Amino acid sequence: MRTVNALAALPLATATPGWRDLVGLLPELIAAGGFLALMLLDLVVPPARRTWLAVFSGAVLVGALAVSVWGWYDAGSAGRSVFFGAFAYDRLAEFANCVILVTTLLTVVISPGYLNRRRLHHGEYYSLLMAATVGMMLLAGATSLMVIFLAIELLSISLYILSGFSRQEERSQEAAVKYLLLGSFASAFLLFGMALVYGETGHTQLAQIAEAMSRSLPVDPLLVGGIILMFVGLAFKVSAAPFHAWTPDVYQGAPTSVTTFMSVATKVAAFIVIIRLFDDAFASYYSRWSAVVIAVAILSMVVGNLAALTQNSIKRMLAYSGIAQAGYILIGVAVGVGIPLGVQGALYYLAAYAFTNLGAFAVVTVMSGQGEDLDSYDHLRGLWRRRPYVAAALAFFLLSLAGFPFTAGFFGKFLVFAAAIQAHNVALALWGIGTSAVSVFYYLRVTLIMFQRPKEDAPAYEWPRTGLAGSAVLLVTAAGTLVLGVFVVLVLTVATMAQAGTLPGT
Amino acid sequence: MLSQAMFPWLLLTAAFLFTLGALGVLIRRNPLVVFMCIELMLNAVNLALVGYSSYLNSEEGQVFAFMVIVVAAAEVVVGLGLLTRVFSIGRELDVDDLDEMKQ
Repeated sequence: MRTVNALAALPLATATPGWRDLVGLLPELIAAGGFLALMLLDLVVPPARRTWLAVFSGAVLVGALAVSVWGWYDAGSAGRSVFFGAFAYDRLAEFANCVILVTTLLTVVISPGYLNRRRLHHGEYYSLLMAATVGMMLLAGATSLMVIFLAIELLSISLYILSGFSRQEERSQEAAVKYLLLGSFASAFLLFGMALVYGETGHTQLAQIAEAMSRSLPVDPLLVGGIILMFVGLAFKVSAAPFHAWTPDVYQGAPTSVTTFMSVATKVAAFIVIIRLFDDAFASYYSRWSAVVIAVAILSMVVGNLAALTQNSIKRMLAYSGIAQAGYILIGVAVGVGIPLGVQGALYYLAAYAFTNLGAFAVVTVMSGQGEDLDSYDHLRGLWRRRPYVAAALAFFLLSLAGFPFTAGFFGKFLVFAAAIQAHNVALALWGIGTSAVSVFYYLRVTLIMFQRPKEDAPAYEWPRTGLAGSAVLLVTAAGTLVLGVFVVLVLTVATMAQAGTLPGT
Repeated sequence: MLSQAMFPWLLLTAAFLFTLGALGVLIRRNPLVVFMCIELMLNAVNLALVGYSSYLNSEEGQVFAFMVIVVAAAEVVVGLGLLTRVFSIGRELDVDDLDEMKQ
């Protein structure tokens, strides 16, 4: 039975993209232009003046950020589809763009000082960072399987190179190889899932896939398999258990400024596409995939929090904490179909996590010494006496990650647990609450270590000066964590508006 | 043109090749062979995409397969670069040796 698919063939044959399509892609185009310009500028800027490249990247990012904010209003509450359904110009995409661009901007501000200390200040750093940012922004707006795949690969390949950026250091090279091998392995699963979803629905665009899925009754087992395989590939990108094996090694081995960036921005972009796919396009198959997502969420919370207890490197501890946080956000995704609070909670959590985790890693970045990263707990001893403001900032970020009241992390957890209870899945909320209680131990342990005196026989660590850029980043992230915790209603309104106009819209 | 009766066999072949590649990634210890197994998985996906494309008579699958080929090539370039870098430090070609950070 061969049917000519008139619906899919029609728009391609008759239309060409116009200005309205390009406007929808403006922030991404600005960042992509910045990426190309940075590659050329690297050739003419003298090595001693590489900070100019950081200034230029910063200017491009601020420009893209301004356009994204304008796009939030221009796209309006309904949003629209551009490039024939391949890309969404809606508030969810612009919300994600803003979070990703702020993350990149703060990373760029903190990078020159760190890279100079580590003697890693090469020009490619900024162009690769920009390429990864473009990939993430494209991923946040993608509504076609092909665009999702290309965006994921653009950000992944840039990050593979960035994790191996410290070319003389074995740890960094090892991290890059692990990330590359496991990342491509996960991409293959994602792709096979995409092939099945495409084959069983006959479309690569999410709006048409959603329509075909709601018509495909009885349930198509190959389609269910495709959805699950796609989830496996994406769960790898957000480092959810049991697909988290790469996370601690890559986070520890990569240069800290790179870890800062990828631990936050990748997670935001990948979660936006998970929300778009599972809570919207695949919503009619909810009963078939929800059990898998819930199982992965619970496993991430348990594995992440328990493994974090026994770490003695702050980078590894934050990696396991990131796995646990992915589990909490997945709660929002798992109950997000039919319960808007689930998606809103997940979006709020992502914004809160972005500021808090960025701040925590920024502290590790500004404390890194000459030649190597000082990430062992022993290096934190006595930090309170020598660098009280930095220690206070780290303590604040850790409290927020643990979910103490009146920090951003508390309301993030509160919202996703409330959504789970609203979905009559009290057990899921209880798993979350129980594992958060465990997490308090290891966050407080680090805080206490900062108050301890250094051991008598331990060598004295000379922490570098925080510097203007480092102080600014810590101040902004701390302020962000505080503002998100205090003005919850405001941020939740933004998250609600972002959630309401999601494309493809079923 | 693909006959309709052949199509399930094509899909099974793709699934078989994909599983073979996945097993290879999990079992083999040489990173170059692991990388080749990943390529095998990607090509299994290409087979499925092109098969579906022919079965459904839609071009999207073929375009998708071209994109996969291009991205796989880019991944190989970065991958081989990284692998030569790591193993020129003088390590043996064995993924089990990559345990610098184990505690």
